[in-house]
Amino acid sequence: MRLAKFVKFREEKFGGVLFETKSEKVFTLSTSAAAIVREINVGGGDEAAITSRLQSQFDARDGQAIEREVRAFVADLRQRGLVED
Amino acid sequence: MSAAGTEAAADAATPAVGPVSSAPGAEADDLAAPLYVAWQITNECNLACLHCIEESGPGKAFPDELDPAQVFSVIDQLMDNDVPYLSFSGGEPMLHPQFFAMVERVTSRGAELKIETNGHYLTRDNCARLKELEVKAVQVSLDGAVAASFNRMRVRGDFDLAVQGLRNLREAGVPVEINFSPAKFNMNEIGAAVDLAYDLGAYSFYTGRTMYTGNAVKAWRHLQIEDDEYERFFDTLRQKVDEYRGRMRVYFHEAGLLEELRYRLKHPAALIIVLPNGLVKLINALPFVCGDFRKQTLTEIWANFRHAWRDPRVAAFVDELAADPGRTRTLHQWVHL
Repeated sequence: MRLAKFVKFREEKFGGVLFETKSEKVFTLSTSAAAIVREINVGGGDEAAITSRLQSQFDARDGQAIEREVRAFVADLRQRGLVED
Repeated sequence: MSAAGTEAAADAATPAVGPVSSAPGAEADDLAAPLYVAWQITNECNLACLHCIEESGPGKAFPDELDPAQVFSVIDQLMDNDVPYLSFSGGEPMLHPQFFAMVERVTSRGAELKIETNGHYLTRDNCARLKELEVKAVQVSLDGAVAASFNRMRVRGDFDLAVQGLRNLREAGVPVEINFSPAKFNMNEIGAAVDLAYDLGAYSFYTGRTMYTGNAVKAWRHLQIEDDEYERFFDTLRQKVDEYRGRMRVYFHEAGLLEELRYRLKHPAALIIVLPNGLVKLINALPFVCGDFRKQTLTEIWANFRHAWRDPRVAAFVDELAADPGRTRTLHQWVHL
């Protein structure tokens, strides 16, 4: 998985922004959403790989919560055409 | 520039893909740098269009346009600050002596770049080069569905040459957008112009209201469209939006200038306008300058940009526009904030 063509990501203090430059739409991201997009951007892989990397980075008491967040968020990104395989 | 719009926020149960808006609608206050830089790289143009808001034309390059070292320094600053999206316009941007080197500098650093051109220099070779450099899109101005209206609006222009340029873009595989500026003598062609845009392979079509500024002030009697005529114009566009849904996006900005500016006062966009001499404007439709790339860094300019939108002179100018819409004729009398 990677960001779709024409989609740009930038980290910000509040989290980040995704800019779909073809339709010129901007999506603001929370810090947790930005962390997921950062992983997509630098490491790629599927939801499981991204979840695994995030679980190793964060001292998550509930690893399943990260997994749920990643799956829901990636589904949202796919639905909006912001990521591609 | 595309029409603004807002989509629904994502489901709150997700980790927040937040409220969604068009690029110009992304608000500036919380961002570390602009998201979009619209750069008029030269004021020189081969055409002398009736409606040109920049008063561009042959021999109209600013005497103090940025030199090559300054140009590349600005690009490097934009790239170092992760500005994701730029457009090059003019004047005619393809007349800039460093045009292709500038394009390469931007795209090789990973930013997306749109070229806004009159289409008269889109030879097969140039289109192949633009494809090779991976520009995001080329937006061509096509103010008419037939030669007579196009050539009337675009003084010294050649409809057939622009259309051939569009065909060359399509052949090269460069994404194409088309922009249409309405006037009294071409507004009835809007439906045919949208159809032509689709036939020429465009993926987006943009239009809106023509502004009373720049060259348009002198040519207004040829251009002016009455409110009821605009209603018909936008009605046709609404039909075209439906007709081309899923095939080509038809954008039109129906709001008047005053409405747009009042919105921007409350929600400044993360967009700066860079003039050929490095000055930075708040927005095209205001005379206010908030920075100078010859003397300031992007960081300084961006800080001043956000502050400048709250300057009382900006709100006062918008109020004056409400009382006298003709104040737009003074947009080229820059006011430094």
